[in-house]
Amino acid sequence: MNNPSAATATEVSKIYGHGGSEVRALDNVSVQFEIGKFTAIMGPSGSGKSTLMHCMAGLDEMTKGSVNIGDVDIADLNDKELTRLRRDKIGFVFQSFNLVPTLTADENIRLPLLLGNNKGNEEWIQKVINTVHLQDRLSHRPSELSGGQQQRVAVARALASQPAIIFADEPTGNLDSTTGGEILSFMRKAVDDLGQTIVMVTHDPVSASYADRIVFLKDGKIAGELLQPTPETVLDYMKKLGH
Amino acid sequence: MFRIALKGILGRKARLILTSLAVILGTAFLSGTAVFSATLNQTFDNLFSDVFRNIDGYVRSTQVIEADFGAEERQRLPQELIELVEAVPGVADVQGDIQAFARIVGKDGVPLGAEGAGPPTFGSVGEEFKGALWTVTDGKFPSGPTEVALDEAVAKSGGFVVGDTVKVIAQAGSREFTLAGIASYGDVRSPGGATFALFDLPTAQEFLAKPGFIDSILISGDGSLSDEELAKAVNAVIPSSYKTETLTGAEITKESQDQIGSALSFFSILLSTFSYIALGVGSFVIYNVFSISAAQRQRENALLRAIGASKKQVTRALLIESVIVGLFGSLVGLVAGIGLSKALSALLKAAGIDLPSGGLVVPSSAIANTVVVGLIVTVSSAWLPARRAGRVPPLAAMRETAIEVVALTRRRTALGFVFIGLGAAAITAVTNGASNTWLGLGILFVFSGTITLGPVIARPVALFLGKPAQQFRGVTGTMARQNSARNPKRTARTASPVLIGVALVTAVAALAASIRTQIDDVFTEQFKGDYAINSNARGFGGLSPSLADDINALPGVARATGIGFLTVKIDDRGQNLTTINPATVEGVLDIGLTSGTYADLTPETIFVSQKYVDNNSAKLGDTINVTLADAQVKNLTIAGIYEFDDLAGKYTVSRDLVKDSTVITFDFGVYIAMESGVSDVTARAALQGAVDKYGQGELLSKREYIDLQSGQVNQLLGLIYGLLFLSVIIAVVGIIITLLLSVFERQREIGLLRAVGMTKSQVRTTVRWESVITSLLGAVVGIVLGVGLGWVIVYALRDQGLSSFSVPVGSTVSILIMAFVIGVLAAVYPAWRATRVNLLSAITTA
Ligand SMILES: Nc1ncnc2c1ncn2[C@@H]1O[C@H](COP(=O)(O)OP(=O)(O)OP(=O)(O)O)[C@@H](O)[C@H]1O
Ligand SMILES: [Mg+2]
Repeated sequence: MNNPSAATATEVSKIYGHGGSEVRALDNVSVQFEIGKFTAIMGPSGSGKSTLMHCMAGLDEMTKGSVNIGDVDIADLNDKELTRLRRDKIGFVFQSFNLVPTLTADENIRLPLLLGNNKGNEEWIQKVINTVHLQDRLSHRPSELSGGQQQRVAVARALASQPAIIFADEPTGNLDSTTGGEILSFMRKAVDDLGQTIVMVTHDPVSASYADRIVFLKDGKIAGELLQPTPETVLDYMKKLGH
Repeated sequence: MFRIALKGILGRKARLILTSLAVILGTAFLSGTAVFSATLNQTFDNLFSDVFRNIDGYVRSTQVIEADFGAEERQRLPQELIELVEAVPGVADVQGDIQAFARIVGKDGVPLGAEGAGPPTFGSVGEEFKGALWTVTDGKFPSGPTEVALDEAVAKSGGFVVGDTVKVIAQAGSREFTLAGIASYGDVRSPGGATFALFDLPTAQEFLAKPGFIDSILISGDGSLSDEELAKAVNAVIPSSYKTETLTGAEITKESQDQIGSALSFFSILLSTFSYIALGVGSFVIYNVFSISAAQRQRENALLRAIGASKKQVTRALLIESVIVGLFGSLVGLVAGIGLSKALSALLKAAGIDLPSGGLVVPSSAIANTVVVGLIVTVSSAWLPARRAGRVPPLAAMRETAIEVVALTRRRTALGFVFIGLGAAAITAVTNGASNTWLGLGILFVFSGTITLGPVIARPVALFLGKPAQQFRGVTGTMARQNSARNPKRTARTASPVLIGVALVTAVAALAASIRTQIDDVFTEQFKGDYAINSNARGFGGLSPSLADDINALPGVARATGIGFLTVKIDDRGQNLTTINPATVEGVLDIGLTSGTYADLTPETIFVSQKYVDNNSAKLGDTINVTLADAQVKNLTIAGIYEFDDLAGKYTVSRDLVKDSTVITFDFGVYIAMESGVSDVTARAALQGAVDKYGQGELLSKREYIDLQSGQVNQLLGLIYGLLFLSVIIAVVGIIITLLLSVFERQREIGLLRAVGMTKSQVRTTVRWESVITSLLGAVVGIVLGVGLGWVIVYALRDQGLSSFSVPVGSTVSILIMAFVIGVLAAVYPAWRATRVNLLSAITTA
């Protein structure tokens, strides 16, 4: 049977603290991310966007519910298997501090492959490197790269191992709009041309409009969805949600 | 805002503990050795007070020969003095005493106690006496020529019970006795681990020394006179021609205490030298911890500066912290040191040395010293990092991560090379004839230069050493390699304790190897026989002189000769003469006679070395006045001059010189040449028979004998092990601390790596290899320095006859392996700690 979703969350709850100081970061969230689609997650600060991503990527434990990456229920995995899953099946782009300072850009891009003693698909890797325009920066260390270049390296790393899904948490949050735009169009291209699946958290309606679909979170719950968004429709929708 | 800043970054508590740990480590050795020495002194003081508690007077000869290494030979007293003293009013009881060599043979036929090394083996007098030093704990005191008593410790270790037959070896040969009793010395089973065989006086005289003579008289008073009055009264009755002195009970107690005190002081000095080395090496760790901690707090300090704190305030905050850490660390170090001293005692006990019981002595000087030194070292180690912290620009608060600023100034490189240049110049000056003191200065400069250059060479060397890790461990190896090189200052400082320890150990090993080669050469040249019988008991006991005679009489033996030594006084100074048998020495031992023949060596003549002739402008026919231990003076004529003084020393005499005196001699070796055609098996069988008759000495082939002689250098190994032990501990702790701090510092990085798929075991591998590379860095540079240092020491000793320098290849290889193991061991905890790093820390910490 062919599962059309790259990742599925089913009734996921995440509760921080106990008793009076209890925080319900996620409250019974169910969501699916389709293969070959670019999904954005939006919502006010503290609404649980990052928490949802962390739980789905196996970086954090959920209090209740289940998460599947492809056919695999991550609850069944021990630490080692979970680590392998992240290495082989999931790509990450964080807001900052994405790269290992002691490794070159090239080594950073190949890091998940190198960790798995895996050569990877060289043709693919070259294609990724060319797409992010990093050919002449490969031997540089992160400290010798600009913020935008560092983020491009991070995106390239997320793509290099052809993962089943890529999670990006505000990947352009620290960048100016031009550089951010470049990164976003590249991610768009990766989905369209390379067939990747990307889930991205963002606050910015313009960034979100690069996606095929937007999932809105509020107070740890799914508050709504928007397909084929444009900046205008996103803003409208956000107003409607009272944001 | 201050609150937030002061609350500190992650791992702050851990960092405080780690900083203190470095201080504790340094000061624990300091206080431990001080407490141990004081306790040891006190317990021996108590022991002698206890043992001599009923002794009110002590008579002995004033004629004493003091030889090298504090050995002394006092003239014996004639026995008739005992009756003279006994008759003095106020004297209740007396005992003639003897203390001489005697060795107890175990039930398996092997003599007990380590010959030559370890505590001495004594024979003495054990009799019923009011002031008896010995207390019988089982059986009775021995009486008659067939009875012996043993000290409790040797009785226990040898498995002897009252009624057993015990074989004892002494000057008069070996003999069997019946065990009459077991005795203790004060409250210890044996004093300082020495073994004692006790006899009644006539037996002791005949078997251990000379009939008719005693070493001293112990007096117990009847209480009617004070000790001083008693001593006066005793002195008054002994004719002055006997040349005696009478000590009071307090005086002999004090003298015994002082004697052991000075013997122990050598030990104390050695221990405290070690502890200061430890502290010096430990201060690198302390300095390192403060530097890292200041660097990690860069943002925090920058924030403080940004919101208005002055440079001074920031610096002062760190200095105050260092005072607190220093005080806390020293106090804990003090307590840890007391524990350490107990461990040392336990170690000695395990080695068979029963220390007298007694409470722990913690001298107030040790407390003050530990705390003051600990505090000074800590605060001065924190000084530079604190000043650097004050200079942090407020802007640094905005920076991404707090990574120690690594600016390798050209000034540092220049300074390093200047130091090394000065050191090399000083050493070259010595090879061109300047005094040896310049060598010390040279070494100091080279060491300082290397430490200064450390950060400069750390990066390339670490990258080089890390190559295999990268080769075999892939990306984890690459990261380990880069991590060890990313902060060369830190790596250099972390490797410094390893470097210093390894350099010292390598130098001592090089010295040992060179001495070994030297001894080997000397014996190969001068020992011409086929077999040797060896006794390690140099200076105290040895082979009976009649052993050589017996062997000479064996069929198949071409020639056997004994070689021994004799302590005498020449020009009022104690000297050791070599004694040979001129009738048998030819062809077995070659001393390189350049004038005279062995036949010229009679009880009236002496041979001297060429060096002696040169230094004293002496010539054949001159006379040398030699005073024997029994005060006889012999005027010996120089009848021969020899070249090889490595074995024979300055003076060589005939063993017949002492024939008509109370002085006894032992041989330390018997050299044997066999007739040609005698097979090894036949020769060994015949010779072993003779050896067994005396129960003393070891039969060795020429090769075995030479190996054994050169193996004596192994005593230097004790020093090596001591140094090694210290350096290993400090190096391990130093690396652990730095790695832990690095792990804290790299939490985000580790979190990121874990997020993108690094397994826990890969995290551990990375930390482990970084540790190994750091450790190897210290070891490699340390070996280079150590070999150089060893060469310098050997060169400095060239006047002592050390002419060849050998590189200790074996030790070097073991040190490298050891460094590898140290790296692996030190990484265990930090690596585990690294796997505990929160995955999300990389992502969620802004
Ligand atoms: N470790 C934690 N302990 C306690 N509460 C937490 C923890 N991490 C997150 N929370 C809480 O969980 C809720 C969701 O946080 P989350 O980081 O997912 O929000 P977010 O939507 O990503 O917000 P932002 O847009 O600001 O990044 C918040 O109320 C937050 O305070
Ligand atoms: Mg977030």
